[in-house]
Amino acid sequence: MSVGMLIDLTKCIGCRGCQIACKQWNELPAEKTHNRGSYENPPKLSDKTWTYITFHEIADGSRVTWVFAKDGCRHCLEPSCASACIVGALHKRPDGAVVYNAHKCIGCRYCEMACPFGIPAFQWEKPVPYIQKCTFCEDRLDQGEEPACAKTCPTGAIEFGERNDLLQTAHARMKERPDKYVNHIYGEKEVGGTSVMYLSSVPFNKLGFPTYGPEPLPRYAHIAMNAVPPTIGVVTVLMGGVYWIIKRRDKMMSQETDGVTEPTEKEG
Amino acid sequence: MKLTRRQFLKFGGATALLVSGRLPTPALAAPRPAKVRWTKETATICPYCAVGCGIIVGVANSKVVNTEGDPDHPINRGALCSKGSSVSQLANSRQRITKPMYRAPGSNKWKEVSWDWALDEIAKRVKETRDATWVEKDVKGRLARRTEGLASVGSAALDNEECSLLVKALRGLGVVYLEHQARICHSSTVAALAESFGRGAMTNHWIDIKNSDAILIMGSNAAEQHPISFHWVTKAIEHGATLISVDPRFTRTSSKAHIYAPMRAGADIALLGGMVKYILDNNLYHREYVVEHTNAPLLIDPKFKFSDGLFSGYNPSKRKYDKSTWAYQTDSNGVPLRDTSLQDPHCVFQLLRKHYSRYDVDTVSQITGTSKETLIKVYKDYAATGAPDKVGTIMYAMGWTQHTYGTQIIRASAIVQLLLGNIGRAGGGVNALRGESNVQGSTDHCLLFHILPGYLKTPRTSDETLDRYLKHYTPASSDPKSANWWQHYPEYAVSLLKWMYGKNATPENEFGYQLMPKIDDETNYSWLALFEAMYAGRIKGFFAWGQNPAVSGANANMARKAMENLDWMVAVNLWDTETSSFWQRPGVNPADVKTEVFLLPAAVSVEKEGSITNSGRWAQWRWKAVKPLGDSKPDSWIMNQLMIRVRKLYQADPGPDPEPVVKLAWNYGPGEVDTRQVAREVNGWAVGDVKDNKGNVIVPAGKQVKNFTQLRADGSTACANWLYSGSYNEDGNMMARRDNTDYHPASIGLYSKWSWAWPVNRRIIYNRASCNIKGEPFDPKRFVIRWNGKRWEGDVPDGGWPPGAKHSFIMKPEGYARIFGAGRADGPFPEHYEPWESPVKNILHPDQSTDPAFKIWKSEMDRKGDPKKYPIVGTTFRLTEHWQSGAMTRNLPWLVEMQPDMFVEMSPELAAEKGIKNGGKVIVESARGSIEAVALVTRRLQPFRLDGHLVHQVAMPWHWGYKGLTTGGSANVLTPPVGDANTMIPETKAFLCDVRKA
Ligand code: SF4
Ligand code: SF4
Ligand code: SF4
Repeated sequence: MSVGMLIDLTKCIGCRGCQIACKQWNELPAEKTHNRGSYENPPKLSDKTWTYITFHEIADGSRVTWVFAKDGCRHCLEPSCASACIVGALHKRPDGAVVYNAHKCIGCRYCEMACPFGIPAFQWEKPVPYIQKCTFCEDRLDQGEEPACAKTCPTGAIEFGERNDLLQTAHARMKERPDKYVNHIYGEKEVGGTSVMYLSSVPFNKLGFPTYGPEPLPRYAHIAMNAVPPTIGVVTVLMGGVYWIIKRRDKMMSQETDGVTEPTEKEG
Repeated sequence: MKLTRRQFLKFGGATALLVSGRLPTPALAAPRPAKVRWTKETATICPYCAVGCGIIVGVANSKVVNTEGDPDHPINRGALCSKGSSVSQLANSRQRITKPMYRAPGSNKWKEVSWDWALDEIAKRVKETRDATWVEKDVKGRLARRTEGLASVGSAALDNEECSLLVKALRGLGVVYLEHQARICHSSTVAALAESFGRGAMTNHWIDIKNSDAILIMGSNAAEQHPISFHWVTKAIEHGATLISVDPRFTRTSSKAHIYAPMRAGADIALLGGMVKYILDNNLYHREYVVEHTNAPLLIDPKFKFSDGLFSGYNPSKRKYDKSTWAYQTDSNGVPLRDTSLQDPHCVFQLLRKHYSRYDVDTVSQITGTSKETLIKVYKDYAATGAPDKVGTIMYAMGWTQHTYGTQIIRASAIVQLLLGNIGRAGGGVNALRGESNVQGSTDHCLLFHILPGYLKTPRTSDETLDRYLKHYTPASSDPKSANWWQHYPEYAVSLLKWMYGKNATPENEFGYQLMPKIDDETNYSWLALFEAMYAGRIKGFFAWGQNPAVSGANANMARKAMENLDWMVAVNLWDTETSSFWQRPGVNPADVKTEVFLLPAAVSVEKEGSITNSGRWAQWRWKAVKPLGDSKPDSWIMNQLMIRVRKLYQADPGPDPEPVVKLAWNYGPGEVDTRQVAREVNGWAVGDVKDNKGNVIVPAGKQVKNFTQLRADGSTACANWLYSGSYNEDGNMMARRDNTDYHPASIGLYSKWSWAWPVNRRIIYNRASCNIKGEPFDPKRFVIRWNGKRWEGDVPDGGWPPGAKHSFIMKPEGYARIFGAGRADGPFPEHYEPWESPVKNILHPDQSTDPAFKIWKSEMDRKGDPKKYPIVGTTFRLTEHWQSGAMTRNLPWLVEMQPDMFVEMSPELAAEKGIKNGGKVIVESARGSIEAVALVTRRLQPFRLDGHLVHQVAMPWHWGYKGLTTGGSANVLTPPVGDANTMIPETKAFLCDVRKA
């Protein structure tokens, strides 16, 4: 049994209730921002912003559409962040949440580099910085309660539940309205599947979602990590393994912009 | 016994349970277990928009530590938008003021003062100003008993009970310049909907949107301004409804629409007029409904005419109509004549057809800039709801209300809905989306110059006696089938006087009628007039309760300048706003400003107890979670302390006319006001034994009346607001009910035991029109009420008479909804006029381009822009992330983070023309002033081709000012000082400006 979220972008109104509910529950401070000619703010995820709405104006001839997409940790089924963590600060809970133990974190930022979605963020302003990211509101899950973002969503754009049930819902929705949805549940298969999945009416690459195949990245990361003892002294050596992942990610990203949707398996 | 979550909650749940008699079913969402982080939970209602979402407040160590959506609340079901989600930051904000402050004349700083000192000083100034500016009689020697030297604005941010107290205090002092947010946000709604249907409020309610087949959102950006409404819009869409968004900008609402129609700001009547024509031309109207429930069959005086943009009876020098030809033909008994075949050339139906025959799609497209294809698509999809078993709803807000012809735009939508048979129906209605948590309540309590609580009329000096006053405002009908509900006016008015003056209101003294301030027949004291009077130096003392006119009023530079002419100002607020700090605004030397300013710290919603009324007319109780921050105090306490002091001063030194003040029934104790006691007064009670017409006592003295049917004109009852009668009766506080079961047999989502709705807990008003005259619902699947042979089932019917016994629109003297609305100042049918400032001539009648009946002000600050100098159409809007003048939201870091700067939206075409880059700084200028903003260049805006001219448009949020965590130009510096012909709501949604690189 594993929990998940289905984010149906066709229902999102960009109200950003989720963005603030996350800060409210997790007691995260506001960032200093400025208007860069867009509604989107803060400009990216950070140690203070674990989820946010990205705004996409998509022009199609004279027609314009405006799509809002919630970004944040996908709680991968096989999280490369956890595999990359040399001190075991990050781990996947049996219920699916990928969480971390701040006390163990040594601030090496391997997870940040390993994550295929660029999620973990470093507390740059802290004297003893840690990595921060969405915890799936683990303290709420422990109380049998849904994450703050899912609860606050007015339109049901964020649906929380059993991952399998959500997958069924998603498939049913696509089947019923093939005219409305692109035939793709983002996160069903990507990097071995993620707990947070998306439905959309516009192709995901137009929304800046990276294109990944079904192969979980961490499998390789894990091997690379286990090749050397996990001590701080060997961080530089480890970089080699991590570097491999990052390179692979960058390569895949560039393939995506070339219009290639399925990266070749077994590469590298 | 298993402990339910409800038992865990400690917000006076006992009362709630007693009233509802049962435990609410936890069916709405998963129950939320107790968290370790806090030890106490209370229920409250969101203090921002008027969706009225429920919030649970978690408290630990007397501090708010968590706020999140109330999962039991039937409207939001645990959800909250970004503003609602940030309430914990509001409660704990360090930006709040927590001590009374004083700014001496010419001083450049605030000084902390004690409450006692501040209140004593203010009381002295109130008395001095009142006495110095007292008008005992008007020029004709009739009693006036008013002061024009004192003014008060605010507030929709007050609880109902506080509004009630404030009305009593201000009227008691003789204040006639008495206004608030409702004037500048939805006054035209009241004028249009009351004229069309009889009551001035949103006809249906939020949850009911789910029942619609077609949703037209126009003049509103509901997804951004009322995000939780989209819970219900989304439900409707999931059931197959079509969503149509008509807007000058492509908004977050448009992003969810099936049809988006771009339209030049201000061209709404043309677009809706085209829809009327389309419905009539294609026979898409709901004939049975139109014949039985509207005045379409009624015959109008043959002398009634319309030509060259003017209706019959126009007097250009007075800019006023003589409406004598806008009248029904009647039989010898005075009953209006009807032609149910709708063929008579003088019947309303035929006049309507003729009037809108000019609104063909080509013409409309030339005016609105919308393509013909899009217009037809909108018309076709929406008019499909004219089928008897289909229903459509219209959601609108300030995009409609804030025009010189705002009332008429809403009237046009009422006509569309009446033709399609969509009023009184589940999933139908003309739904005015109100933007402040209690603006419906503050409107109902009538913090407005022209009306008294419950929409009774403010006496005029010509209403010399109570008798004459009652005769003047009590309509008569000779039609035995007309319920003519306003025939009960005397019962409500006398009960109001009994509440005002208590024992001092007796049959011998006309129940204290002569103690009331009376306004001049011809003088308007509304918002724009108030600031004109202040600018002219006639107003000396000014109260701003939870309102920030330095940012929210049109032509803001004038409002700010006007404040410099005050002797003193009292600002009651959570924050030091642009209004309280007008003397230290940019470009002003404080030494030059002689106004004394008192800034009093108010408690925030979770720090007090009382009710607020959402847009759907639900009065919902809020419980107190924590003590007020620092030395801040509930507004009710402040009002009470002031009145106690002022009355003491009058006892010591009577001055010219102390009677109205000292005879006021002001008994709210020496300390905190018991708002439940006030709520009971609002409901009304028996002062003496209340008897039926056989002389039997139906309510013994001292008991609460059950509802307004027990109010009397003989002085045996007192009631602060007849509309709210039934909200707190002998059954308890009905507004505190929390039973979230939908008891309606067709599950249309009435939730009739959750809180309480006016009138008499009726959830969908005009519901008699949802049935034919046999009492059979037009749409049996989604019926609102139905006659079962003995009685009505479903919602509380709009009058309990059997079907056919009375006409369905009981608040109108003729008993029918008005397609022809003779009561409005600028015409019985809506006509397209251009805004006061427009880049184009009116192509329907170039010689009568603008509305003929609105007032034009003449001071040197009331400047009009020339289209040659200011060729761009400007409009204003709001954001999800900020609220109103921004006083609340620009002080909350989480919200500032999302929308940190003032900006202006424009099309890439305009930006290219002006060399403006996205994200760059620009200056926007109008004839009134200029502001700086960040350019947001977006394809969501587009230029329009209007009758051959290319017209550009820019749009700006109006949330910014010079105080708070983020500061920026106020859009209202640009907006014009003209208002609607009927209500003087300023025309802030369409004006002229220019834009250039900074
Ligand atoms: S999205 Fe990134 S941070 Fe989240 S679980 Fe996957 S790898 Fe870890
Ligand atoms: S709360 Fe829901 S609708 Fe609002 S921005 Fe987040 S996902 Fe979208
Ligand atoms: S601002 Fe309105 S929609 Fe948002 S949570 Fe508050 S009441 Fe609900």
